[in-house]
Amino acid sequence: MKWKTVLAIFLLVVLYLIIGATVFKALEQPEEGLQKYRIIQEKIHFLSMHTCVNTSELEDLVKQVVFAIRAGVNPSGHPSNESSMWDLSSSFFFAGTVITTIGFGNVSPHTEGGRIFCIIYALLGIPLFGFLLAGVGDQLGTIFGKGIAKVEKMFVKWNVSQTKIRVTSTVLFILFGCLLFVALPALIFQHIEGWSALESIYFVVITLTTIGFGDFVAGGSEIEYLDYYKPLVWFWILVGLAYFAAVLSMIGDWLRVISKKTKEEVGEFRAHAAEWTANVSAEFKETRRRLSVEIYDKFQRAAYIKRKLSSELGQNPGQDMMPCKRTLSVNFTDELEREGLPTLTKNGSLYLNGLTPDCPDRSEISIIEHLK
Amino acid sequence: MSTAFRSWFMLIGFILAYFTYLLLGALVFSAIERPVEENLKADLSALKAEFLNLSCVNSTALESFLERVLKANKYGVSVLENTSLRTNWDLASSLFFANTMVTTVGYGHTTPLSDAGKAFSIVYALMGVPFTMLVLTACVQRLMHPLTYRPISACQRRAGLQPRSASVVHFIVLLFLVVLCFFVVPSLVFSTIEETWSFLDAFYFCFISLCTIGLGDFVPAEKPGQSLRALYKISVMVYLFVGLMVMFLVLRTFHKLADVHGWTAFFQLPSCDEDDEDKEPIIEAGPEDDSPEAEKASIKPLDPSSQVSYNSINR
Repeated sequence: MKWKTVLAIFLLVVLYLIIGATVFKALEQPEEGLQKYRIIQEKIHFLSMHTCVNTSELEDLVKQVVFAIRAGVNPSGHPSNESSMWDLSSSFFFAGTVITTIGFGNVSPHTEGGRIFCIIYALLGIPLFGFLLAGVGDQLGTIFGKGIAKVEKMFVKWNVSQTKIRVTSTVLFILFGCLLFVALPALIFQHIEGWSALESIYFVVITLTTIGFGDFVAGGSEIEYLDYYKPLVWFWILVGLAYFAAVLSMIGDWLRVISKKTKEEVGEFRAHAAEWTANVSAEFKETRRRLSVEIYDKFQRAAYIKRKLSSELGQNPGQDMMPCKRTLSVNFTDELEREGLPTLTKNGSLYLNGLTPDCPDRSEISIIEHLK
Repeated sequence: MSTAFRSWFMLIGFILAYFTYLLLGALVFSAIERPVEENLKADLSALKAEFLNLSCVNSTALESFLERVLKANKYGVSVLENTSLRTNWDLASSLFFANTMVTTVGYGHTTPLSDAGKAFSIVYALMGVPFTMLVLTACVQRLMHPLTYRPISACQRRAGLQPRSASVVHFIVLLFLVVLCFFVVPSLVFSTIEETWSFLDAFYFCFISLCTIGLGDFVPAEKPGQSLRALYKISVMVYLFVGLMVMFLVLRTFHKLADVHGWTAFFQLPSCDEDDEDKEPIIEAGPEDDSPEAEKASIKPLDPSSQVSYNSINR
């Protein structure tokens, strides 16, 4: 059953991917076609305007330029005096993107040495960052959990259900976090980087989920940035990631608690039901036992009185008081009940013989037998 | 009070260590890469100058043209002749893109161009990333039993090792196998298929992808005129997904190892829960392991004579 569920979920993921693929294709392919058309037009226009350039020369130049761009060097403008992509602050930023596994890619190592170092660096750095994130997320989750507990204590007096409090406080937490870590930075980026609102939110989401495409990078354009801008961006990434991690761990904890609670409740319910059933059946058996014992007592007394009377009256077989054989049988289901009561049982059933004037001997004998 | 203080102390220690690590990395990267960058810049300006000298093109026209080309290139659209037929958004490539998105690798070699695409990406990522993480975690928890718990206990039984040494031995063997199957062999395959990649490049690609960093400087199946491109992309996708699962497994095994050796307790970190059965109900309904236990716990023996209040009748 377990593997079937995992397989089902896996198929669900594949389905999700296929749906995403078709939607992306439908949305993006037309735009791509448009861009292609435009750039081909540009090329043709350029070639026609500058007739001394032939196609192959242009292609060569373009290839080199594209390669340079991939290496992080921007060939347009004046490349001599601008800042490097590998000065200390940018390298710091790059190291940060490697360790957090965001990996924008607008800057990447091109030397063999750089690449080997990148591998080793990531091998050690990613677990380190993972521990840090786990610790920070844990602390945040605990702080938040304590806050919720306090709020719950307050609201319990007002007889609001615990689940409601929890749900509302989570929603508030998520909203507040969104405001602080998503909306506010998006506004700042929109203002400083000159992106549209959608592009800023897109950048924030892509960065904080550590996808990190790199088409938009804060601090990656040619704008003159303030000195503290890049470190601030990096700090925001760290805290934003911790926030996402805290939210995820909180959701995970709750799912676990819910499933545990459900299991407990189901277990408790089962236990209660079983106990109730046991009690009821035991009571029922006891009632039957008591009843049969009382009946036996009564007949015993009646028999004694009858004997006394008949001995006093002599041998006077009188009228029919009771029919010859009247049996009252109570069946015990198991040995325990049988042993609980002394005598009186033959083959698991209790026989009480009624008194008969027709067969006094037999009745007496029967009684004696049964008394034994 | 001291444990709380200690945990904060540990956390601050971690943050400081992290900062130092970043700084160190920045220094090394800067030292290695900067000279190469300078050379490339010099080459490029020389190329531009040469081009301008030879032709009738003036500087501004060239600059504007280059800007347009670069903008198109950023979106993955190339102006070079032989690539004009290929699209980045056919079904296989879109599937690959969606996969890189939900596994948070995010190469960036193709990115959404339209506003609608960007908006859809936001929503898709916000739902897809936790979903994928949940699926991977569930699969890994299941895989831990045949791949980690049973071998370690078998190791303990047969070789008579202590839990600590058994877990260390198992981890080393697992690491070796993973590196062989998921790094070395795929690197060989990639370096053969992609002509411009050396073995180191392919290894670098495998590593950067499986750690979900995804810089995007190397992306397979992007060569113009690649045969069986769709099949290639889909097999790379499968490789990435399985590889990611295996990386999670290795990480979790390492976490258990740290638990066994008491490192997590020492560093006040959250430990790897023994009671994995607790987490399984997140994913599925009715785990088999739990129901017999729950049954046993809840059903008490139905013995009326054991009921104290009814033992009074003695005859």
